[in-house]
Amino acid sequence: MPTRSSLAIAFRALRRNRLQTSLTIIGMTIGVAAVLAMIAIGTGAEAAIEDQIRAAGMNLIVVTAGNYKVKATDDFGGGAVEPSAALRRHDDVAQSSGACEKISVVCATRVMSFFSPTLLAHPEDDPMEKHDHPTARQRLGDSEAGLGSAATLTAEDAEAIRGIRGVQYVAEGLHQNVHVKAGDKRWFTRLNGTDLHLPLIRRAWTIPSGRFFNAGEQSRAEQVIVLGSVAAQRVFSDKNPVGRDVTIWNQPFRVVGVVTTTSWMVAPAPGDDQFDAVYMPFSTVHRLLNLAKLNDITITAASTGEVSPIMSEVTRLLRVRHGIGDEKPDDFTVTTQARQALARGGLRPDVARAVVGNVSGLEKVTLEQLGKTLDRATRTMTALLAGIAAVSLLVGGIGIMNIMLLSVTERTREIGVRRAVGARARDVRSQFVLEAVVLSVTGGVIGVIVGLAAAQGLSRYLHWSTTISPVAVILSVGVAAAVGIFFGWYPAKQAARLDPIQSLRYE
Amino acid sequence: MSADAALIAVHDITKIYAMEGAPVHALRGVTIDIHRGEFVAVVGPSGSGKSTFMHILGCLDRPTGGRYLLDGRDVSHLPDDDLSAIRNRQIGFVFQGFNLLARTSAVENVELPLLYAHDSRISPGERRRRAMTALAAVGLENRAEHHPNQLSGGQQQRVAIARALLNDPAILLADEPTGNLDSRTSVEVMDIFQRLKKERGITIVLITHEPQVAEYGSRIVRFKDGRVVSDHPNSSRRTAAEELAAVALGAAEDQA
Repeated sequence: MPTRSSLAIAFRALRRNRLQTSLTIIGMTIGVAAVLAMIAIGTGAEAAIEDQIRAAGMNLIVVTAGNYKVKATDDFGGGAVEPSAALRRHDDVAQSSGACEKISVVCATRVMSFFSPTLLAHPEDDPMEKHDHPTARQRLGDSEAGLGSAATLTAEDAEAIRGIRGVQYVAEGLHQNVHVKAGDKRWFTRLNGTDLHLPLIRRAWTIPSGRFFNAGEQSRAEQVIVLGSVAAQRVFSDKNPVGRDVTIWNQPFRVVGVVTTTSWMVAPAPGDDQFDAVYMPFSTVHRLLNLAKLNDITITAASTGEVSPIMSEVTRLLRVRHGIGDEKPDDFTVTTQARQALARGGLRPDVARAVVGNVSGLEKVTLEQLGKTLDRATRTMTALLAGIAAVSLLVGGIGIMNIMLLSVTERTREIGVRRAVGARARDVRSQFVLEAVVLSVTGGVIGVIVGLAAAQGLSRYLHWSTTISPVAVILSVGVAAAVGIFFGWYPAKQAARLDPIQSLRYE
Repeated sequence: MSADAALIAVHDITKIYAMEGAPVHALRGVTIDIHRGEFVAVVGPSGSGKSTFMHILGCLDRPTGGRYLLDGRDVSHLPDDDLSAIRNRQIGFVFQGFNLLARTSAVENVELPLLYAHDSRISPGERRRRAMTALAAVGLENRAEHHPNQLSGGQQQRVAIARALLNDPAILLADEPTGNLDSRTSVEVMDIFQRLKKERGITIVLITHEPQVAEYGSRIVRFKDGRVVSDHPNSSRRTAAEELAAVALGAAEDQA
C-alpha cells in the first residue's frame, strides 16, 4: 500500500473525530512542550553558571615572565615553600643533600645555561638572575619591578599560545606606572599595554561610552587609549573623555573609550588595578618605549574544566619555545588568576609566596572542582527537570493509546467495511499506527512551538536563562513520533486482528 | 476459461464453528454453480446458513471442507492477504446496514476500495473521477459531498452500491440490502440490481428472507439447516422498472 494513501486514510479518519483528535494532540503538546522548556531551562542554567564561573575568572590563566618560585627557594631556603614543577625533578637529590646542595645545583644550572649554545644567551633571559626589567627599573625606580619584570615573554609566545586547543582569548600584557595628563589635571596611574580582546576576558566590564581600541589601531600601534572609570573621573571629572586627548610620556593619546563595571563583585575604586588604570594597544607601548618583551600573558580557557590541561600545555610550549632543557627550571610562571590575586592581595611578598606555594593544590580543588561540581549539579537538575517533563510525555502517550483503543472499539464496523472492500490486516494496522503517529507528531510539533514560546517567555519576563539547542528540538519531535508508534502499536494490532465478519456485525 | 464454465463453482463445502465445545455446523455440504450474469436470490430462515454461505462466497471466510472455485481458481484455502485482494478486485458487497463511514462524504466513501487497490497506483484525481462516475451510475452525482447522515436510507444504499461497483467486480454480493428500506426504495434498489445485471452482465447473489424480494432474481436458491433444499429458475420474475413506472404513473411523485 502506498504510504501516501495510508497517510490520507489516517488524516481522514482523524478529521472525522475533531474533538477527540484535538484533545489527544493537546496531551501530546503539553508533554513535548514541557520537556523542551525544561531542557531549555536546565541547559540555560548550566550555561549561566558556566558564565558566572568565567566572569569570576575561574577560567583565567596568567603567564608571568620570570620564575619567582625558583627565587623563593633560593631566598628563603625552601623549607615551607613548595618547589616549582620544573624543580620537582631534583627533589630526591635536593632532599637527600639539603638546601646547600640545592643551591649549588641551581648555580651549576645557571653556569650551564650561560654557556650552552641551545639556550638564549642574553643575561636577561636567565631565569636564575634576580633582576628587574632594566628599563622598567630605570623608569619606575621603585619596588614595582618584581614579579613579571623579567623579560622572557614575547608577543610571539602569546601568538603561539593562541594556537593551543581550548584557549579562548589571549591578551598580551605590559604594565607601566605613568602620569596621565589632560589640561591641568594629572593622575598617577597604571598603564596596561594589552590586546583588543581584553574586554572579552574581563567579562564584568562594561563600556559606558566609546569603545575599546580595535584591531586596526592595535596593528598600526596607534596612540589611542581607553580609560578606566576611576582614572577618567580623576582626569576629566564628569566630562565625557571620549574624543579628547591625554598626554603620557609627553605624547598625545586619543581617548576612544571608558571602561567600568556594574558587577557587585568588583567596584571601581582609586587604587584598584582595573579601573584606576588606562589601556592602550601593547604594540603602541612597544613602539613608544622601544620594547620587545611582555610582562605577562593572560589566557582564558573556553571551559573551566580545561584550565589544568591548558596550563601544562602552555608550560610545555613555552619551555620548547624558550629552548629550556629538561633539567632547567621554567623562565616564566603559569598561574591562575586566583593564585595571582593571592600573591598580590596585600600580603607581604614572602608570606604571599609561602601561601601560594602551600595552597597551590588546594586552590586547584576549590576552583576547578567547584566548577566541575556546579556543572554536574546543573546537569543533574536538567536531567531531573527533563525526567519530570518526560512523565507528562508518557501521560500524553497513554492518552494516545487510550484514544486509539477507544477508536478501535468505536470503529469496529469501519474496520469490517475496510476489510470487506479489500484492506489487508496490515493495512488496518498501519492505518491505526499512522493515526497514532500523526497525533503524536502533530502534538510534538505544536509542543515544540509552545515550548519555544514558553522558554522565550521565561527568559523575557522572569529573566531565567534558557538555551534551546536544535538537538533538543529534533529529539522532542523524534521522541513524540516514537511515543506514537509505541502507544499506537497495541491498539493497531487489536484492530488488525479483528475478524471482518464479526466487525461487520458489530453493533 | 470456457464460456459455460461457472464463475462460482462451490463443491460440497462445509463450515463448522467451534462454539463452546459443541461444534456448530453452519453448512453441511453445499454444492452450487453460478454462471456469469446470473441474479441469484438466496432465501431461507435465519440460521439456515445463507449468511455463512455468502461470507464464503465473498472470501470473508474460508470453508472448513469442500472446494470453492472462483473464476476457475481455488480460493478455499488462500491466505488472508490474497483473500483481501480478491475482495478488492472481484467482489462488491452491499449490506443491510449500508456500512458507510460516518462523517465522510459520499464520494470519499465510494473511493474507499481504490485506497486498497494495491497493485495499481491510482492518482487521487483518477480516484475521484472514478468515484464520481460510480455515483452517477446510481443517480447521486449531485450528492457527492453529502455525509451519510444527510442522505436518506435509499440514497445511502445507493452510495454503498456505487462503492461496491467501483473496482468493476464480477460479483455483487448483497446481504439483505432492502432490510432497512421501505418497500418503495427497496424496489428502486432492485431496479438498480436488475439494470446492472442486464447492462453490465454483473453476477448478483442476493441474500434475503423476504420471498417477494427474492422474486426479482432470475434464480432462487433455498437454504435450510445448512443445505440447499431447492434451486430453480424464477418463473414468476418481477421487474422493478415496470413497477416503478406504474407507481410513477399512478401518483406523479418525486423520486429521490
